[in-house]
Amino acid sequence: MDKVTMELLARRAGLAKALAEFPDDVAAAAKQAADVMSRIKQPTDPAAEPWPPMKAGRGL
Amino acid sequence: MRDGPVGELQWLSATEAAQAIADKELSPVELMKALLERIAKLDPRLNAFITLDAEAAMAAAKAAESEAVAGRLRGPLHGVPVGIKDIINVAGLPTTCHSKILEGNVAKADAVCVQKLRGAGAIVMGKLSTHEFAIGGPSFDLPWPPARNPWNTDHHPGGSSSGSGSGVAAGLFPMALGTDTGGSVRNPASCCGIVGLKPTYGLVSRRGVYPLSFTLDHIGPMTRIVADNALMLQAIGGHDALDPGSAASVNGHYAANLDRGVRDLRIGFVRHFHEIDTPAEAEVTAALNHAARALQMEGAEVRDIRLPSLTEFGAVNRVILQSEAWAIHGPWLRERPGDYGQLSRRRLMAGAFMSAGDYVQAQRRRLEMIAEVEAAFRQVDVLLCASSMDPPCRIDRPADIDRTYPRQARTPFNVTGHPALAMLAGLSVDGLPLSLQFVGRYFEESTLFQVARAWEHAAGTDKKHPPIV
Repeated sequence: MDKVTMELLARRAGLAKALAEFPDDVAAAAKQAADVMSRIKQPTDPAAEPWPPMKAGRGL
Repeated sequence: MRDGPVGELQWLSATEAAQAIADKELSPVELMKALLERIAKLDPRLNAFITLDAEAAMAAAKAAESEAVAGRLRGPLHGVPVGIKDIINVAGLPTTCHSKILEGNVAKADAVCVQKLRGAGAIVMGKLSTHEFAIGGPSFDLPWPPARNPWNTDHHPGGSSSGSGSGVAAGLFPMALGTDTGGSVRNPASCCGIVGLKPTYGLVSRRGVYPLSFTLDHIGPMTRIVADNALMLQAIGGHDALDPGSAASVNGHYAANLDRGVRDLRIGFVRHFHEIDTPAEAEVTAALNHAARALQMEGAEVRDIRLPSLTEFGAVNRVILQSEAWAIHGPWLRERPGDYGQLSRRRLMAGAFMSAGDYVQAQRRRLEMIAEVEAAFRQVDVLLCASSMDPPCRIDRPADIDRTYPRQARTPFNVTGHPALAMLAGLSVDGLPLSLQFVGRYFEESTLFQVARAWEHAAGTDKKHPPIV
């Protein structure tokens, strides 16, 4: 993730103060997030549901 | 009542202590006194406690003694001391989560798991060190120092339930509560050479425990021996209508199969975790192979089993954990970023950079991974795999902590929710604990304890204590 995108996303998330006081930590957090999704296989079945499956019950 | 010498009382198991108290052979007051003396001597080096409630613990021990003398036992843990991780509420004591953010946050009521332990007769000694909010540690920039490993105080005790692992192993208390979102009961159990269980998701109520990640959080028992773990789970398990994640039907007699041995059980050995996905240190590999052979000698059928890769399990765990944790910590991270330690700040802010789509994809992949592990459990009864790929590293070398922390096989079972138990596999050439992990089918903790007890008996893991004096 480039610096401009990272700063844009950080400000959109309300992290302006963190960006001003701890820019290295914000950059490290952004890098962690960018790296991790590439390691997950995307489900190929369009009907694959997320966990936990939604179930109608007493609470709904 | 008999007064036991201090040297013996520190290593009494919860089972032995409860039995001796019930038989009027041991005074709960003498037991508490011995442990408080040991805490005074060792805790300045271990930092297991954030809040030691010695006065209340001694008062409760006196009450327990009077009740025992009168033949009125509250339950199977009558008079047995317990330590509580400091993200779990104990009425009247601060729940700090080891963080400046929550300094002075006094709990109004006990968490359900603490209520249940008290109902069984256990005595709360105090609140124990953790990684900040169960995610950021070991850290030296927090209001309290990190806990240390009693096998060698220069080394990391694992986390995030660090004080629980350190204190149980050091003989400060025979049992403790920990929590486990990505391995936080099993990591300190592995580093400190004790028994740590992450039960089936939903088996133990989360009510009154500070959340890290709603769909991954578990509360679990930490003890020196397998029988104590089963005893403690019996006390804290059960349905809670006010916890939305609580399992609807929970029952089980967890110690039922303890001494049945492993004859005719089928054990799946997940070798690719430590041989291919994240190659383990040679000593760890040797210890795992030794355990597999020993269980085979005891009559189990051991065969290789393949699951999804550790890398992918780890990634799914992190996306879910950090997204859910961001939902909890976002407001404080926006307003008070400087009140977090650096490690927590970095790990918790990562969720701000993940999209809703990332989170849903991770949860979809999670369900597929659950199906793959369930398929494995149609072939075998229990899984054997690595817990940590290395012995515990030095606590003062951040590069070593960063290198070894992700080298583990615990997160898969937070993702799937299966029960998983970590324990001692042997000692390294440097005298530090090596670990292994057993994993069971949903709600079949009794089978897990059965296999763990067989290994404990074969290897004598219950007789090994750290040399700290």
